[in-house]
Amino acid sequence: MAGGIQRLWRKLAWPWSPASDREASEAIVRNLWLHWFPAKVSGRSLSWSYSLWLGTAAASLFVILTVTGVMLMFFYVPSTERAYGSIKDLEYAVSFGRLLRNQHRWAAEGMVALAFMHMARVFFTGAYRGSRALNWLVGVALLLGTLMLSFTGYLLPWDQLAYWAITVGTNIASQAPLVGPTARYILLGGHFVGQQTLLRFYVLHVFFLPAVVWILVAYHMWRVRKDGGLAAIEPLRALRRAEPREMPRTKSYSLFGLTPGTSVAVASSMGLEESDQVASSPNLTRRMMLVFLTVFNLTLLLSLFINAPLEGPANPSVTPNPAKAPWYFVWLQELVSWTTVHLGSITISGGLLGGILVPGILLAALILWPFLDRSTDAEGVWFAPERKRQNAVFVVITAVIIILIVVGAWLRGPYWHLYWPWSPRPVLPRVL
Amino acid sequence: MDTDRRRLLRWLGKGSVFAAFVAQIGAAARAFFPNVLYEPPTTFKLKQPAFYPQGYTFDAEHRLFVIRAEARFHVISAVCTHLGCTVQWRGTEFDCPCHGSRFDANGNVISGPAPRPLPWFEISIAPDGLLEVDSASAVPEGSSLTVATEKT
Repeated sequence: MAGGIQRLWRKLAWPWSPASDREASEAIVRNLWLHWFPAKVSGRSLSWSYSLWLGTAAASLFVILTVTGVMLMFFYVPSTERAYGSIKDLEYAVSFGRLLRNQHRWAAEGMVALAFMHMARVFFTGAYRGSRALNWLVGVALLLGTLMLSFTGYLLPWDQLAYWAITVGTNIASQAPLVGPTARYILLGGHFVGQQTLLRFYVLHVFFLPAVVWILVAYHMWRVRKDGGLAAIEPLRALRRAEPREMPRTKSYSLFGLTPGTSVAVASSMGLEESDQVASSPNLTRRMMLVFLTVFNLTLLLSLFINAPLEGPANPSVTPNPAKAPWYFVWLQELVSWTTVHLGSITISGGLLGGILVPGILLAALILWPFLDRSTDAEGVWFAPERKRQNAVFVVITAVIIILIVVGAWLRGPYWHLYWPWSPRPVLPRVL
Repeated sequence: MDTDRRRLLRWLGKGSVFAAFVAQIGAAARAFFPNVLYEPPTTFKLKQPAFYPQGYTFDAEHRLFVIRAEARFHVISAVCTHLGCTVQWRGTEFDCPCHGSRFDANGNVISGPAPRPLPWFEISIAPDGLLEVDSASAVPEGSSLTVATEKT
């Protein structure tokens, strides 16, 4: 009996702290949770300073979002009459409800930031080329998925921000050539923002988009493994390739003449030496858990001290003044506010130019970049001198977006006029 | 000959099953285009003409301005032509809080991203004496309704 329990426990737990290399490798095969890790991982891939573990941190936030999100579903009612009230209940009537909502909110904003920072890391280390181009594309899809989850998520409280963001957002969609009005009609489930809209965005937010993002996350991580680990190993790989050595022939291979050359047991598929690698369990798993716990505690800390914003209940007749998008979309709001152009008698609305064309071009650039990139070396190194021009392009675009965010978030006042952050803003009657 | 017929039949069999599969996806997608909309009508009644003071009155329910000059009435939409926020009347002009569009007293664009002027809606007097607006039909700028004898 006791032996049985011990065996069972070992089956579940012993691989987490293996006593030998052999146990560590066996753990990967035997344990369900570990089997999607490689048996061995290069020390460079595990380095804190190379990857900064931004992808793992973003994935950790997505775990937190999934768990807190499912818990919020127990209290939230996706109806225009009750949605706002159920958020108020979460804040004032449900024990720790506010904490739960805060954590969901800060994890969501953190995920947007970390997904972008992870992308920047991959770009600056030139880790998106060759076989890794596919995973870069998956990453771009994940960034989009994260943004769509954010957008559908902040509609749900049915407050003023929600209502006007969705009004403006779907009006931007309707500016798209040909399909625009139809897209808006399907998104809203009619011509106005209403119950159908809320329900559609709710289902997208709690099931459809998370399911797609989870599948892509799993594929994203699997591809890291299939591409031989992080690009950080490429300089080492090149080094190992440059030093050819006579591989020992094993008896069976040479005696039976099964295959010429070295045996499969000698050359690792990663092209690295045995000494370059360590067992995934516990070296990789321990760090992943450490990252998860750090990220979890940071969101918890934020949630204890800063409350998630909630504006007044949705009022279809009065727009808040100014009505501002969350920081990760406010650069688009800033763009659409001055990109309307008049060419003779033709007017192109800012909704089309700043809301669809500019983001569309940025997205196309992200998708095409790995294929336009001609450089062959400098993979897996931060800010390689050979990539100076490419990195400059990325930095400039990022800086422009950050400047637009700063202008939109801090310098825009009532009626979207420009004010210095310290200059007084006119006090206006709230409702006409 | 025989194998050709078999191949054709096999292709038809598999193809029809696949076609049914695709058609079902299409049917599911079609469900997302609502056939019945529970939306307010585009023609609706406002209040009696006597209710409105001289000048600009905002109707929050219908998101429009009723503008009265003596006995003449006209109606201008309060929905910004840029991206749909509600504009506010500021004594001399309409300003939008979302992206800073500005319109003059007749709804023409002064500055900002709005691509078109604010539309004027057709206005009439219903048999029961209430003002009636058809928000689906725009009228040219300057059109107005003169109410000769006011009921109070």
